[in-house]
This record gives sequence, C-alpha cells and structure tokens, in this order.
Amino acid sequence: MAEGETAAGETGAIEVVDLRREYATRSFLARSARVTVALEGISLSVSRGELFGLIGPNGAGKTTTIKILTTLLSPTSGRARILGLDIARDYYAIRSRIGIVFGGERGLYNRVTAVENLRYFANLYGVSPSEIEGRVARLVKLVGLEGRENDRVEKYSRGMKQRLHIAKALVHDPELVFLDEPTIGLDPGGARDVREMVRQMKKDGKTIFLTTHNMFEADELCDRIAVISRGRIVALDTPAGLKRLVRDISVIELQTYDATSEFVERLGRLPGVTRVVPDIESERQVIKVQTSAPAEVLPLIAGVAEGVRIIDKAIREPTLEDAYLKLVEE
Amino acid sequence: MERPGLRVRAAQAAQVFTSSIRFGRKGTVIWDSPDMIAMQIVILPLVQISFFAILAGYIGYTASGVQYIVVGNALQTMSYAAVFSVANITSSDKWQGTLPTLMVTPANRMALFVGRAFFQAGLASLMALVALGYSAALFGVSFARADVPGLLVAVVVTGLTMMSFGLLISSIGLYLRTAMIVANVFLFLTMLVSGVNFPVSALPGWLQAVGYAIPMTYGVEATRLAIAGASLGQMATALGEDVLSGAVVLALGYLLWEAFERLARRTGRFEEY
Amino acid sequence: MTNRRQAVKASMYMSMKLLLADPQWLIPVIIAPFIFTLVALFLYRDVSGPILLYAVLGAGLMGMWGTTVYGSGSSVTTDRWNGTMEATLAAPIPLVWIVVGRVIWNTLIGLVNGAAILVIGVLWFRTGFSVTDPPLFALATVLTFLSLSSFGLVLSTVYVLSRKGGFISNSIEIPVYIATGTMFPVILLPLVVQPVSFAIGPTWGIDAIRVAALPGYTGIGTGYWLDLLVMLAATACYFALAFYLYVRVERLAKRNGTLEEY
Repeated sequence: MAEGETAAGETGAIEVVDLRREYATRSFLARSARVTVALEGISLSVSRGELFGLIGPNGAGKTTTIKILTTLLSPTSGRARILGLDIARDYYAIRSRIGIVFGGERGLYNRVTAVENLRYFANLYGVSPSEIEGRVARLVKLVGLEGRENDRVEKYSRGMKQRLHIAKALVHDPELVFLDEPTIGLDPGGARDVREMVRQMKKDGKTIFLTTHNMFEADELCDRIAVISRGRIVALDTPAGLKRLVRDISVIELQTYDATSEFVERLGRLPGVTRVVPDIESERQVIKVQTSAPAEVLPLIAGVAEGVRIIDKAIREPTLEDAYLKLVEE
Repeated sequence: MERPGLRVRAAQAAQVFTSSIRFGRKGTVIWDSPDMIAMQIVILPLVQISFFAILAGYIGYTASGVQYIVVGNALQTMSYAAVFSVANITSSDKWQGTLPTLMVTPANRMALFVGRAFFQAGLASLMALVALGYSAALFGVSFARADVPGLLVAVVVTGLTMMSFGLLISSIGLYLRTAMIVANVFLFLTMLVSGVNFPVSALPGWLQAVGYAIPMTYGVEATRLAIAGASLGQMATALGEDVLSGAVVLALGYLLWEAFERLARRTGRFEEY
Repeated sequence: MTNRRQAVKASMYMSMKLLLADPQWLIPVIIAPFIFTLVALFLYRDVSGPILLYAVLGAGLMGMWGTTVYGSGSSVTTDRWNGTMEATLAAPIPLVWIVVGRVIWNTLIGLVNGAAILVIGVLWFRTGFSVTDPPLFALATVLTFLSLSSFGLVLSTVYVLSRKGGFISNSIEIPVYIATGTMFPVILLPLVVQPVSFAIGPTWGIDAIRVAALPGYTGIGTGYWLDLLVMLAATACYFALAFYLYVRVERLAKRNGTLEEY
C-alpha cells in the first residue's frame, strides 16, 4: 500500500506523520535562542468525508496544527499530505482545494460589502467567471446573510462576520474544509447556526477538520476526535471511545456560594475523590467532583462545607469534558 | 498531481489581475469617496505648483527657469497616488488581517498586487495631466511645440513605473508595523532628488544616486523633452530608463514580498512587526 | 470636575509618553516641512546675501507650521485607532482642555522642529545667525507659537469629527505655507487670496519675527507692535472659536453616541 493510502485504496484526506514545530525566540541580548516546542511530533490521519475534531486547551498546539496543514506555517520536521499532496512541495495545488475558516473580527475587507468580498475571493480562487454570481447568491443564502449581503462588512456583528468567513471558505467548493474554533465568541443562537452549517458541509460530502475547546460541540459534531495537550496527541478516538476512558467515574456537580479554594482542597482530600474541577471565580460557582463512588462521597461533602453554602448538588454521567480533563491534566 | 500548465496558470493570473483592479478601486481604506479623490486631483497639483512657482519668481528665476520648476512639479504630484496610496496597500491588508487570507489562496501574488495598485496608476497619470493643464493655463508653459503623443506616453509610462515604485515601498512596509512612515518619506523625496525643481547634478553625489534609482527622474526628463518637441525616438533613452528602473523596482518589490511570505511561514508571525 | 490645569498637564504628559513609546511617528510630522525646506534652500543655491537668512528663517517657520498641521491631528488619530475616544469623552472635564494639553505639546515639538531646521539651514548656507533685535525676536516667536497653538486647536476639531483628517492635513499644508508668507511675501499672492492670508493670525507673527530678525525689513509695513496686536486679536478669536466648536462637538457626540462614524 503506498504511503497515504487507506485500506480501501483511496488517498486519505489528511495524513500527518511526526509533525514537529519549534519556535525560536531570541531576545535582543541573549546569546542563544530559547526554543519553544509547539508540536512534539504529532501523527494523525483523516479519511475522506470524515468530520474530525482536534480539541485541547489554549496553547496546546491546535492553531499551530491548522496553520501547518493549511500551508500558512512550515513544520520544523515531519511530513503531512493533504488530499495526497505534500504540504512542502504542492502548496499551490493544495490551496486550490481547501477552504479555511479562521474566523474572528479580522480577515475580511471591511470597506466593501459581503458580496464584493465573496466575488473577489471567488476570482482569487479561480472560480469560473460564469459561475461566480450564482454561487455567491447561493452561499449568501446558505449562511443566512440574505438581506444584509450588500452592506459593508464594517457594519456587521461578530456573528455575521463569522457567517461570511464560512461563505468565503466555501466559495471555491473545496473538498476539505478547516475550521479553527468556529463558534468562539458567538452567542448560543449563532453557535448553533454555525454547527448546522458544518453538518450541512459534511452532508455535501466534504471532509472537515475543526478545532475547538467546546467539548459539547466536539461530542455532537465529530466522527473522531484527537485530544492535544502541550504539543502532543494524548488520545485519538471516537467521542464514545473517549468517554469510555471515564466510564468508571461519576461526577458530583455542586452549585455553591462563598466557596473558597480551601474548600476545594478539602474536597480533594476526601476518600474516593479522584479529581475536583472548580470554577469558583465566576459569579455562578460550579464545582465538579469526580469520583468512582458517588454514593459514599456525597454525604461526606457536608462535613467539610463549613462556611460554604451548597445551593444544589447533582450526580451525573461523565461527559467528554471529563474525559478531556482527565487526559490533559495528566 | 502536478501544477497546472502554463496556459491555465496565465489565465488564472489574468483573472486575479482583472478582479484585483476592480477591487482596488473599492477597497482603499480611507480616501475612497469621489469628492476626496476629486479634491486630490484638482487642488493638490495646483497648490504644489503654486508654492514653488511663486518662490522661484521671488528668488529671481527667469521665466524659463520658473517653467522648468512648474513642469517638474506637475509630474511629481502623481506621487500622491502612485507612491503614497499604493504604498499603503499592504498596510491596509495587514491592519484588516487579510494577509493570511490572501496567502492561503493560490492567486498569483504579482497579478494580485499590481492589479490592486492599477487604479492608482491611472489616478497618478490623471493628476499629472491635470497639473500639466494648470501649467499651460496658469503658469505660462507653452505646449505649442510639444509632441503630444510622446507626452502622453511619458505620463502614462511614468504613472505605471511610479506605481511599481510604490509597490516596492509597500513591500518594505510589510517588515514594519506600518508602511505609513516610509510612504510619507518617499512621497516627498522625489521633490528633492528627481530633477523636479533643479537638475539632479545640483545634488551631492550620494543623493544623485538615490535620484537615479527612482523612475520619476527619467519620467521628468522624458516629459521635458516631449514638451520641448522631441520625437519619441529622441525620448527613447529617457523612456527606456524609465521602464527599466520601473521593472527593477517591481522585481525588487516582488522579491521582498516573496521573502516576507517565506519568513512568515517560517516564524508564524504575520502582523506583529 | 477635574481641575483644568491638572487635565492639561496630564494630557501633555501622556502626549510625551506616547511620543517616547513610538518616536518613529514623529517622522511623518517633520518629513514634509523638512524636505520642502531642503528643496527651497536648493532653489537658493546660486544666491548669496541677506536674502538667505530670510529663506532660512522661512524654512524654520515651515517646520513649526508643519508640525502644527500634522501634529494637531495625530493625537486625535491615535485616540481613534486605539479606541480611546469614548473614554476621553467620558472624562469629567470638557474635551477642549484635554486637547489643549496635546496642542501645547505639539507646538513645543514644532518649536524644536523649527529650531532644528533653522540650525541646519544656517549651517548649510553659512549665513550666520545674527538677529537685529534678539529680545523682540524671542517675544515674537513665543507669541507666534501661541497663535499657532490656537490655530492647531481649531484645526483639531476637524480631526475629531472626520476620519478624513489625514487627507485634510495633506491638503492644507502647502496652502498654509503659501498663505502665511513663510517663504515669500504675501503681497506676491493673487489679490483674491490676500484677505485670507491676513485673516490668519500667524501671518502677522511671521512678519513681526522677520522685522525683529532681518535688518531693514519692512514686510507688510504695519510695524512690529501692530503686527503683534493683530495676531493676538486673531489668537483670541481662535481660542474662542475652538472652545465653541468643542462644546458643539461634545454635544454632537453625546447625541449620536459616537464621533467615529464620519
């Protein structure tokens, strides 16, 4: 079997072997550079038509990975093939066949309209001129910008800009679409719409590679997920497979008032508790206590809760987030 | 899969070029309203020529001496469009965050940026022509013997070569936080070194070298020849030097851009300079 | 309400810190007058005699003007780009006092710029710098400095209201050099333009400076003290106009919710 081919004999969408990326930062007076390793030799492969997710904490290497795979960044070592094409040699051909959504406030031309942006990029991607108008109209409809498509982008809300980013990524009908944190900063309605668009892309037969740190999103959308932590892939499996890592664990979720870090520590020392994940900085404090014996642990909590008011407690099944936390904190 | 053939790539580059021309008209960051552009074309040349013409008169230059200065400044005013506006193109992209967006397209970079700047080349030539009109109507420059086709060629060619110069400045600007500062410097520099107000030979040697590196110096010379009635053949050397220097600066600008892209791909930093 | 002097001082201090943080932004402000000066001085290359000091003085004045024209806008532009305009407007002191601090700082830079250009010109042309009446020269310079500040203050309202400020400063620079007679007497201008020239305060100050500096110079013909009087009157008008405009500007801002749409 030739490199890059799957068992079925067709080329995979993405093949990554031992990708490594270092950054050298040299301060003005230092004699040698300090090297930060963003990716420590990751490997993965994505099949055609798959919806693949890369999840990890901030700074883990998600954006670095996507930048390398989309030819914006060169790796320090390792190999990668996109649609059978080598990222070091064939980047011209790769660019014609992939779409990228980096999203955010920037990356679009503000002083012109959405339609003008889309038309321009269609031309830059070499879309056949006779098809451009029709395609732009269809995309505007697809991403829900109808009625606003002739307004200047500078007047758009964040959610609208994100939709336009998605439309722009699809303007040349790419086979493979990369999305970097596509729902970050969006309100729930906007995020839901974006996820629906991603699902539609998959239905249209496209391969999708997305990064996110929203676990529920990853769980809901992805066929398979790679968990990246500190530049390494620590797990690669379907969502169900990842959740099996934590199948023995239950989570006691406490809603508290006036909880302190001492309380969190005391919880951590209770017998049977494997991990405590506190969020006591926000106004609505939620503390998740991971344990394999929830029934035994629950009554012990009141015993260490002096000065802390526990508003609500619930025992629930572990989620992908719990699996993720277990993976990245080890 | 190999790269598509030369024919296909040329066609794609042409598509990038023509769409960039259209886009370049609309995508300018600040001065995009028609009244601003009209003001730029009508007022700026008049004001610049007036300043130096009146000053020359006051110093005691003869009529032909003043006309020398008037014609030089008339051509120099194209720098507002060809150098300043063009130089800010990459800054505008950097500021809007569209550099990575452009870099992931397969679009031919030369076609893209020359296309974007093209409108300004047209504007530049227009400004120079309006300014030459002022010089005839208000400052007594005689066009009676002028070789009009030759003059038009000189103006249009210099508009394009100075646009190329502006693109070089634009590429330099990529390595800085913003191109605005270099754009400002080079906007005015030609007033000093391009034989606009006085011959290049009046400058110290090192400044002369700077002058001879800029296409406008040759463009001004060609324009003066055309107004004096020289034929295209007699203008050939100056025009040739104009075109050659324009090609050199264009190539330099392109190489700088390519180097920047490679650097950005290696270091991962596009916008932090 | 914040003490006005405190606001002015704080504003000046902040302008200074911003400049020290990014000194390269001084370049656009000084490059135009600097190159104009060099060109003008080259035009004088075959000339010798006292007229050279006239030229060199004029160059220094262009330096001062240029900084005022570009500088009065740059702080507002900085606010616009940094998104700090709203915070500035929300401060418990009329906007105009904050701008006064910045304008004073800018004009100080202008004085320095003008002096630097003057020095370069004197050295290049070996004119020697002997001024007929130093104290009167100094007085005229300081008062012209004040007048330039007030003009800059009025000009800055345009920047606050419009995004096209950069374009306006480019357009206004040369007309200002012409109209105020920096490099040649105002009487050389077409008659239609001359009233405009005389309406600009610093024109009179420039005349006064030259009367005090150049031997036997008569200029406009009104004499030193009358020049200064007219300029001071104009300056008072500018300050009044600026204050009035800023009150309107703030009202407009509070009504529309933003100044940043224009």
